[in-house]
Amino acid sequence: MNCSRVRRSLPLLAGKDLPAGKARRVEKHLEKCPGCRQKIEEIRATLAGVRAIADRTSLDWPEADWRRLMARVKSESPKPRLRPLLLPGLARRSWAYAAATVLVLSTGILVLRIVRPRSTSAMLEETATSTPAQPGRALGREQALLAFSPLDRPFRVYADRKSPKQVMLAAGPVPGKPAQEMMSMTLVSQKTGLQVHWTWNRNFEWEEKKK
Amino acid sequence: MVELVLSGRTDAFEPLVTPYRKLLLTLAYRLSRNTEEAKEISQETLLRAFRYLRSFDRKRSFKNWLLQIEMNVWRSLATKAPDEATLRQMANNSAPEEPEGSLDQKEAREKLLSCLEELSPREREVFLLRDIEGRSVKEAAEILRLSGIAVRVHLSKAREKVRELIKDRFPELLENRG
Repeated sequence: MNCSRVRRSLPLLAGKDLPAGKARRVEKHLEKCPGCRQKIEEIRATLAGVRAIADRTSLDWPEADWRRLMARVKSESPKPRLRPLLLPGLARRSWAYAAATVLVLSTGILVLRIVRPRSTSAMLEETATSTPAQPGRALGREQALLAFSPLDRPFRVYADRKSPKQVMLAAGPVPGKPAQEMMSMTLVSQKTGLQVHWTWNRNFEWEEKKK
Repeated sequence: MVELVLSGRTDAFEPLVTPYRKLLLTLAYRLSRNTEEAKEISQETLLRAFRYLRSFDRKRSFKNWLLQIEMNVWRSLATKAPDEATLRQMANNSAPEEPEGSLDQKEAREKLLSCLEELSPREREVFLLRDIEGRSVKEAAEILRLSGIAVRVHLSKAREKVRELIKDRFPELLENRG
């Protein structure tokens, strides 16, 4: 753990409010970091000071005010228990209503899928035409550049007509082009600019794992 | 005792809440930093507790239920707080029963409470319950109707802010005790 991460946990550790596992990790860091040790000592001293001051603070009602208040309370009467307006006991059975809603919705979706299989298949017939991403780290750059071409339409997504729910992804040979052997995907964080490259072969085995 | 009150024995309400009269008033004072407002908060808390006693879940702690009502009352009053200067004037004029302690202790307490005013309402509530009232994180979560994680997040921020405020403004508070 680095100092900035540890320091975020120090206010909780100082009051013994950090879960045990994390507390052990932070304490291990404190053993070898004088800066963080000093910081936690400051927080502990603050908390001890606050508690010492607060311990002596105690207010009480003037007896006359208390009597007046109790007399006022006794002049009222407790209100009846609040009940749901539409159905009594609705709140107690809310989990059952939630489960029923989920069941109805999922049945509806299932029925729609069965009734309209052709439109779903048609949608899946579309061919993936994405431009190949930058080569992954696991590949040699030259090798990857040879494997990819912006004109390639390497992978095809289609649904089997006999079993429309099953989606197939095939690395089919494009006429006049060699079969696509590899595919890569790059994820770029918009916040930090961090890039993650994933590379697969035609059997969708992660290339990096093999190496 | 709750059953007695609900069965019509309203006089049983006083022994039911008497053990918490100091606690409610002191917590209200720590939240509002004003004795008149603290009385108003505690009074409204007890009135609401009586009115809605039938809604009290017997499986819960009665004390935590009272504290939860008090937090709600404070929040609703804080949002429509009129003029702070007027309230201070009221507090000065009414000369209520001050917390016990010497002048130094009162001064230290006022300094501490002035630091708490810099916290957000949630941070103040969590800090008061955990670090001054000594409630556990779980109890604070129950009283404030928050998750344990949310309580820890507010608590961490509150402690860090209080440390910085005391260090910058009133370092003597810690030196005297070091």
